Amino acid sequence: MIRVKSPQDLGAGILFFLLGLAGIYFGRELTYGSSMRMGPGYFPFWLSAIILFMGLVIGLRGLMFEGPAIEMPQVRPMAMVILSILSFGLFVIPLGTPLAIIVLVFIAAYARPDVNILETAILAVCSAVFAVLAFIYGLGQPLPLWGDF
Amino acid sequence: MDIIGNLTTGFVAALSWDNVLFCLIGCFLGTLIGVLPGIGPIPAIAMLLPITFGLDPLSSLIMLAGIYYGAAYGGSTTSILVNMPGEASAIVTCIDGHQMAKQGRAGPALAIAALGSFFAGTIATIFVAGFGPILSAFAQQFNSPDYFSLMVLGLVTAVILAHGSVLKAVTIILVGLLLGLVGTDVNSGTTRYTFGISDIWDGIDFLPVVIGMFGVTEIIKNLEAKQYLRDPIKAKLSTMWPTKKDFRDSAMPILRGTALGSILGILPGGGAVLSSFAAYTVEKKVAKDPSRFGKGAIEGVAGPESANNAASQTSFIPLLTLGLPSNAVMALMMGAMMIQGIQPGSAVMTSRPDLFWGMVASMWIGNAMLVVLNLPLLPMWVRLLSVPYRLLYPAILMFCVIGVYANNNNATQMVIVAVFTLFGYILMRVGAEPAPMILGFILGPLMEENLRRSLVLSRGDPMIFFNRPISATLLFLTFCVVLLIVLPSFRKTREVAFQEE
Repeated sequence: MIRVKSPQDLGAGILFFLLGLAGIYFGRELTYGSSMRMGPGYFPFWLSAIILFMGLVIGLRGLMFEGPAIEMPQVRPMAMVILSILSFGLFVIPLGTPLAIIVLVFIAAYARPDVNILETAILAVCSAVFAVLAFIYGLGQPLPLWGDF
Repeated sequence: MDIIGNLTTGFVAALSWDNVLFCLIGCFLGTLIGVLPGIGPIPAIAMLLPITFGLDPLSSLIMLAGIYYGAAYGGSTTSILVNMPGEASAIVTCIDGHQMAKQGRAGPALAIAALGSFFAGTIATIFVAGFGPILSAFAQQFNSPDYFSLMVLGLVTAVILAHGSVLKAVTIILVGLLLGLVGTDVNSGTTRYTFGISDIWDGIDFLPVVIGMFGVTEIIKNLEAKQYLRDPIKAKLSTMWPTKKDFRDSAMPILRGTALGSILGILPGGGAVLSSFAAYTVEKKVAKDPSRFGKGAIEGVAGPESANNAASQTSFIPLLTLGLPSNAVMALMMGAMMIQGIQPGSAVMTSRPDLFWGMVASMWIGNAMLVVLNLPLLPMWVRLLSVPYRLLYPAILMFCVIGVYANNNNATQMVIVAVFTLFGYILMRVGAEPAPMILGFILGPLMEENLRRSLVLSRGDPMIFFNRPISATLLFLTFCVVLLIVLPSFRKTREVAFQEE
């Protein structure tokens, strides 16, 4: 059994290897052309090939040299923050900007434990009011004030 | 060459009431976002970019300059007060600046940082005005192979300044180049890597990429580190104004920092980070009593702060004359200009002199605003720091999503933000610094186009890159840089330099 000496390097190696592989695989139907007449697939192919190769090198180094471990990701902050962003995309048109921001702030608040609901509600409303005053009225950004309802 | 006449043109174009107002707003918002702990200039600028898009090109560039300098100064403020550098170039400011703050001398440190930056900015503006046209005239001789080699040089030099592994930095740049190619190929009209998603037919917008990778990922990192449990920062500002002795001690470091920064800023891949480290080292070397450094020596703030501001100014030179962004922030600026329909490069100066000189003038105006706005408002910025993180991060997220959404009113952009947040997070976990990716991302299509043209010129013979004198010189320089990276002694210095964090 090979011992992984630097999990971070091995991880980066695998990530880059897969990216390079994906670049070649999903670009396989692009015309390669020739050096004289580069097709749309020429530059992506070579980039992907080098990325793949670099991935191999970095990964192998991870087996050979000592390095730092990969910290375990925490699910909650990641999940809630990403969810809050997606929720804004989902709600901004049907509900309008201020309401979508209130939803965003509430979901984002739950990225950490011990949420104080009253405090979060005040923060959400203040953020929404700020967004409307600063971005919609102040800077004239084209954000929908009210939704489609 | 008529620098004064040109600058006058610029100031006349830039100094309308509207433009000054936009610059002021930009500066205010830039500082507001930049001062938030954990937000460096890159995400701060990215978040505020969209508000400039609706303006005409000159006004939007002027507002951008305000945002840029505001964000940079906001970053210095957090470095000094709470020891949290938002970006690599502020790391050295932390060393002595934060010590000064601990001794209750945050006010003088911040004031010297602002005044030093203003002085450096003024000199560097003149430098840009003098050097820009020369380099631009030189750039007229550049052909596709030369541009290609120039980009190679720029990207390779960017690697030196990335944290951590060189190999990972190289690869992440290549990944950036590849991502930059997503969308419709201009030559053949074929869509590449779009997976049938019509929103990315014109390429992936760089705003959601930057916001996701730098803004949102940072928030998740802070949440994982339980930042919200920490006590809010209470910084005291007892005395605002530096003493006579402070001024005397800082005068020379400011001059030296300005000179160093102005020169280093022009180098491709160079800029703020390199020059602030260099300035700190120089100050320590020339000081009568080097042991004071690290314990709150004002020279350790004055030198690097002047240097990084001078450098961030002169790093506009390669962007405006050659169309080559030398660091991630310049890549953002380039992206913003392209959205305004300006392709940065030597053509700007000849076809739109008002724009070029207006931009140069706006740099100075941006710097002046900084002194006018930030010094009196310092107590307010400081109070902002005492807002607990649990209230801060939802508000930062709001800025992120509104920035992206206002960019093109497309809700699916949020999915791109989410994807790149995840990607940035994974990169962080495997120890790869994401900043160089932005350079590749912006340069991808340009590099491909210049490679294509070069190879058409030479009928497919790659030797064209070595036969042309300009291109060959640039590749030789690239080779030297690679040697430098591989050389053990340099590697050690680089590791030490980044360890001070």
